Amino acid sequence: MPMSGSAEKPKKVEISEGGAIPKKDDVGLFTAWRVAFVGAISIIIALVYFKPEPYFDIIKFLPDGIYVTFKVTIASILLSLVFGLIAGLGRISQNMFINGIASLYVEIIRGIPLLVQLFYIYFALGKFVKLPAEVCAIIAMSICYGAYMAEIFRAGIDAIPKGQTEAARSLGMTSSQTTKHVILPQAVKTILPPVGNEFIALLKDSSLVSILAVSDLLRRGREYASESFDYFETYTMVALIYLVITLILSKLVGIMEDKISDDE
Amino acid sequence: MMNSKSLVHIENVSKFYGDLKALDNVSLDIHEGETVVIIGPSGSGKSTLLRSINKLETIDAGKVIIDGVDIYDEATDINKVREEVGMVFQSFNVFPHKTVMENLNLAQTVVRKRTAEEATGISKKLLEKVGIFEKADEYPGKLSGGQQQRVAIARALAMTPKIMLFDEPTSALDPEMIGEVLDVMTKLAKEGMTMVVVTHEMGFAREVADRIIFMDHGAVVEQGTPDEFFDHTENDRAKLFLSQIL
Ligand SMILES: Nc1ncnc2c1ncn2[C@@H]1O[C@H](COP(=O)(O)OP(=O)(O)OP(=O)(O)O)[C@@H](O)[C@H]1O
Ligand SMILES: [Mg+2]
Repeated sequence: MPMSGSAEKPKKVEISEGGAIPKKDDVGLFTAWRVAFVGAISIIIALVYFKPEPYFDIIKFLPDGIYVTFKVTIASILLSLVFGLIAGLGRISQNMFINGIASLYVEIIRGIPLLVQLFYIYFALGKFVKLPAEVCAIIAMSICYGAYMAEIFRAGIDAIPKGQTEAARSLGMTSSQTTKHVILPQAVKTILPPVGNEFIALLKDSSLVSILAVSDLLRRGREYASESFDYFETYTMVALIYLVITLILSKLVGIMEDKISDDE
Repeated sequence: MMNSKSLVHIENVSKFYGDLKALDNVSLDIHEGETVVIIGPSGSGKSTLLRSINKLETIDAGKVIIDGVDIYDEATDINKVREEVGMVFQSFNVFPHKTVMENLNLAQTVVRKRTAEEATGISKKLLEKVGIFEKADEYPGKLSGGQQQRVAIARALAMTPKIMLFDEPTSALDPEMIGEVLDVMTKLAKEGMTMVVVTHEMGFAREVADRIIFMDHGAVVEQGTPDEFFDHTENDRAKLFLSQIL
């Protein structure tokens, strides 16, 4: 009958898509991260230095696109977190109506490819409301990733032992006080790694918005290439820049995770 | 003792899990200052009964009145009732992301609306009382099971409840830590706290209880003082149970 002498620990949520996040204890991945990062930076520098024609011209042309990629990514991340939290809480709600709506949202959105959603919001719904391409891109990405995040939030909250809720409620805390003070602060720890993965996946998927004539990194590359016909050189540079950005982002997510798990 | 006011009035309570009758027409009164110990075989409905006293379970029939308030009435704000009913769980359920002091302060500030200073003052006294004052700034993960359970007891007491419910508070503990938790509970009982305790610790039951409730198959089968129950029960099921555990 005696259980272990210590308090119940929340289970780990294991959902993984997108880039791997380097952790200190994973030596192999950590080294791979270094090799890839240093390698990519070195190649960029070498290309620009030894063959400024066309590489230096390309790299001067791309920053506007990097800026747009960042803008779309960050706006989509923030908005998808909001959608994800609302839908995730909806998915565990006892209220059948709220639960139904949230579940429907998640099921529908997860069943439609992001590229189709982008087309749908920009071209199909564009028939009724004409919004700027960038706004449509952010809305589509947020709705899509919000559904993924919702599942992560739901899983993270589900992983908190039921006893935590019971203890809080037995002290007279309301359901929302319990969520705010007891459940979410604990869920953040289990949620952060998979959410970090989603950030990285979202950054990469943001290249899809180039199809809506949003001048992101990929689109700028395409514009340069179609005028100069330097397809190989341009897309090599674009790929290297995506790689560097993704590696930096995964590093940041890794640092953030370490901080949170040390926080005790 | 029996003339004092009835704090908990349980009247014809039944509860089903599908076809299983977890509570079978249970009626029971718990009086102010009384320590009631509930015992019975596994699955007899002890936890279900205890948890129906603060509405952690729903019931299918009957009434539970706490200090004059019908808690299963739709119009009752259950959170107000729970402020007055402390509960201690087998698995402690301390908040791992909060320090010991924060564990005690949280509901005091959020629910009781005490200021941080007020709450901290009360918490300090309670931590001293349960003997873990020096752990105030630790996180629960650093504490032993016995210490965590004492935090949980102090956290419930910090709400200044009128009644305390304990569901097998020592069952998850290593044997050498059971005593320290039972000591705290004994002290509480002596101070006149109204307590309902589900436990398998028969020594505690005999020594501290004013009344023993014996449950089997969801029903209260027998009750009496420890002396009546342990030494003079005529009930066959109670005798069988006692012969198995003593
Ligand atoms: N959530 C549930 N769903 C279905 N059956 C349940 C549920 N909770 C309890 N039961 C059943 O109800 C009956 C009473 O359970 P309860 O937990 O109250 O027993 P108990 O006396 O506390 O037992 P123990 O000494 O093992 O803790 C048992 O038969 C149990 O299997
Ligand atoms: Mg039980």
